[in-house]
Parts: sequence; structure tokens; C-alpha cells
Amino acid sequence: MVLNEAAKRLGVSLRQTEDQLTRDMLAATASFINCTGGVNGDNPTEITRSDVDTVVRTLLSADAYTIMDNIEGDDKFGTAPVRDAYFGLCSTDLTGELDAVAGFIQKNQYPSPMNALRSEWGAIGNLRFLVSSVGSKSANASNLGVDVYNVFCVGMEAYACIEQDQYSAKFIYRPPIYDGPLALNASVGYKFAEVPRILNDEWIINLRTTLS
Amino acid sequence: MAYNTIIQQGDFVSTGVDKIIALRSDVDWVKVYNLTNIAASDQWDGVTWWWQREMAQDDAVVEFHAAASQVTSMSTCAVGFNGLVLRGISLIDSSDKTPGAAVAVTAGTNAVMPIYSTANTGRMIAGSIVRIQNTAHDNIDGLDFSVDTVTVNTSFRLANALATAPGVVAGAAGTYRLIAPNVTVYNMMHPKKRVISNITAAAAGVVTTLVDHAYVTGQKVRMHVPAGCGMTELDGQLVTVTRLTASTFSINVDTTGYTAFAFPLPAAVPFTPAQVVPVGEDPSYGLLDDAQKNTAFIGIILGTSGTAGIAAGSPGGTTSDVIKWVAGKSFATDIA
Repeated sequence: MVLNEAAKRLGVSLRQTEDQLTRDMLAATASFINCTGGVNGDNPTEITRSDVDTVVRTLLSADAYTIMDNIEGDDKFGTAPVRDAYFGLCSTDLTGELDAVAGFIQKNQYPSPMNALRSEWGAIGNLRFLVSSVGSKSANASNLGVDVYNVFCVGMEAYACIEQDQYSAKFIYRPPIYDGPLALNASVGYKFAEVPRILNDEWIINLRTTLS
Repeated sequence: MAYNTIIQQGDFVSTGVDKIIALRSDVDWVKVYNLTNIAASDQWDGVTWWWQREMAQDDAVVEFHAAASQVTSMSTCAVGFNGLVLRGISLIDSSDKTPGAAVAVTAGTNAVMPIYSTANTGRMIAGSIVRIQNTAHDNIDGLDFSVDTVTVNTSFRLANALATAPGVVAGAAGTYRLIAPNVTVYNMMHPKKRVISNITAAAAGVVTTLVDHAYVTGQKVRMHVPAGCGMTELDGQLVTVTRLTASTFSINVDTTGYTAFAFPLPAAVPFTPAQVVPVGEDPSYGLLDDAQKNTAFIGIILGTSGTAGIAAGSPGGTTSDVIKWVAGKSFATDIA
């Protein structure tokens, strides 16, 4: 029972660590566009429709493939068709900001909400937003000294995690007999060897934004 | 103070600035010896320093020459001696990107290398990375830049010249934050993108970056030059770097016929600055070991100061001091 619980928590830790390392690589290396369409007086400003359009246009101009297909319109109240889309990977702190952007479609307004991913928040134009509590944030990085949020807008195969040394991750358990002469303690843990890597720098843009 | 496992030891010759030492694992205690001071027997010279868990950052127990002899006395760096508070030993985790606290700047000059006045330069040294904010220099606010001239508790200067002065003649009171003590700590991933401060019009255009770039000759980078920065002919071009200095490199593009590069003025805020983004393999590394190379480390900082009396009593020492250090782990720590 204890081992099962430890394995579950370690599994979450492994994948979250992997995500955080990938996040930090993207923040360090991807080119950025500051949101400039907002009115909060900062640089970057809060996110607006014009900023999303700028990013989408830039990705389109670079021939980046969209990741998700269209969701065809349906005869249901309060729904709207969703365009084929790139992903915008961002912090859960931005959910309120996204709600306020012109043209935002909540995922429950998709014609078939079952097509939405669990972490998805909604879509604006050709960008569908996936949110995470550990989304990228640069502390005190704006003109006025507030936190800047990094929204990684990515096309298909813009980046990848490359396995090293013939394995990606290993879950390790050593029973007590292997852990000490008195067999008092067991060891359980994980290790992984993989490298996050931008595959095409023109297919990823860091859209930097502040809160309104 | 228990000695148990020594994890690492070494020596260095002080250059008069904070010494940053990367360690192979976490550390519970550090001891430092200044061999030059031990031999000299000058009054008020520190000779050994001890730091262990639960002591404050930038502190240590210090043993020093209380007179011009081998007679020693003890104090802590925080208390100091001879009326001076000393620098001590700190832990560092370069993956922690939390900026330093906001510190007031009282003015900034309108020059391509602006000088910012402050009564508190803190632990800033030449080569540090700082970020100014809330000043009238809106176009520089929020951007990180290297500093090259630090006058202790008086001023610091932006190291890498802008194409155009910030454009505000009146004072630029606001704040600054220390982002990293040097570019090694600043770069968690190597190489990183950089904001461009200038590009010359030349047969091989010369690019200057706000923060020292750490690129090497042969590296491939992509230029991002938005409309507000002039020289849009370079936008999107994939170019090859020839390293010139820590902050400049030339590119294999003749920029003589291009629109002049301009660093946006405050009126242009909000804007996206010009950037250079590493995209290819860095010849100094192997295949698939470039832009994603995680260079973060944990270690210690042996502090020193530009003030001679403080430096002589601090573990980072004064220029040319020969210093030895040893760092270790304790089997167990019983901390109240």
C-alpha cells in the first residue's frame, strides 16, 4: 500500500520535473513577442486579440503545422466551431485574462467538448490554450516590476524530448535486503535521462504577457 | 562542528570579486583559508572562515589577526571587526531565478551607456546582470543588462552600448534588481537568446547584446528585428557568429545597405525588442548538446568587496590572495 502510494507520487513528480525542465528550456531559448495590444500601461501588456493574431500570423508565415484539427460546428445552443489550432502553453494564472479576450471560446462551448483536453481552457482564433499550475512565469520582469507570464505558442513538432542512453525514465525499487546489512529500509525512486530540444525555432513563439 | 564527509576542496587566486564555486552536491559546511593573509600577519586581515547549516547567508565565523602578529581573534562576518561589517559565505542555486529585491535608483543619465545612481549597490560587481524598472527610461525598463562599472554605493553603468540613448534627459528615478552576479549564473540553459542593443552597418555587421552573450564562433543564430528597431532587412535571417568580445559578435551579412538599427525610444513602449536566438549547434559542444544544455549548478559564493578593509576580512579576499577551501556534508545535523 505504501509502495503503491509512493509510486503514484513519484510518477507525478517525474513527469512534472520533465515538464518543468522543458518549460525552462523554452523560456530560455525561444524567441518572444511582447503583448502590446493592452491598456495596463506595462510592457508587456495584458493579452489581447491582436496579440494572439500576431502570433498566429507569425506561425502561419513560418509554415508551422497546426496541432489540432477543426471542430466542426454543430446545431447546439451556445456553441461555436473551433478552428484548427496551435497550442498555447501557459499558467493557470492567465485563465481570467483569456476569458476577457475578444473571440475567446470556452472549452464547454466547443461543439463537442469531449474533443477538449483535460488541461485545456479554451480557444482564441487558431490558438488553443493549455494551462498548468507550473506554467512559465518570469518573476518581476515587466517594465513596472510585475511578473511576466510566458505563453509558449507552438506548432506541430516545434520541440521534442529526446531520450538519452537508451531509456527515458526508470522507476527503481530496492527491497530492504539490498539496502543495508540489517535490511531495515527499502529504497524507491526514479531517474530519467532526456533532453528537451527545439526542433524548429520558427515554429515556437513565447508570447509574453502581464495581468490586467 | 562536526567534520564528516568532505565532498570537494580546491584553491584559487582571488581576483578581488566574489568567488563562485560550483559543487558536486549539496553542502553542510565550508571552511576557507587565506594563505596570503596567514603569511602576512597584517592587522585586520582575515585568515580562516567557517560556515555551516543554519548560519545566515553571507555570514561566517571569521578568525583574524587582531594585531600585526600571528595572534588571532574571532568574530562573525555579520558583526565584523575594526568597525566594518564583512562579507561571508553564501549558498547559491543558479536554477533559482528569483530576482533580488527592488533597490532605489535616484537618477539615470541619457547616454548610450546610461549611469544609474543608487545609494546601495549591494552585491553588484562588474559583470553582474541587473534589471531596472519604473524609471523614465521606459524603453530599458524590464530588460536585463550587464553592468561594467560599479562605484560602490554610488552608481553603476550599463556595459553594452545602446544604438541610441534612452532619450530622457531628466532624471530616471525608479528601482533596480540584481538578477545574477555574472553571466554564468544568469545562463541556466546555454546558449540563451539575447536582446540586441545595437547592430552596426558594416561588411560584416557587428551585433551588441544587452547581456554578455557567451556565444562562440561558428554558432548559428536567427535574428529577430521588429519594425520599431530599424534594420528589418535582417529579420528572420539565419546567420553565423564570429565572436569578437563578451558582448559583441559579427555576422556573415553585409549590413551596409540596410536601414540603420535603432533602439526604440520611450514613446515606443510597449514594444518587442530585437533579439538573437541560437538555433544551431554550438561547435564547443557535441551534436544535440546545444541550446538545451542545462548549465544550472549549486555551490557557494565567497564574498568580498571593493572596499579594501572589508575585502581583507572577507573570504573572497583581495586581488592576488591565495585562498584554499574545503566543503563537506555532515552525517547528521541536530539543529535546534
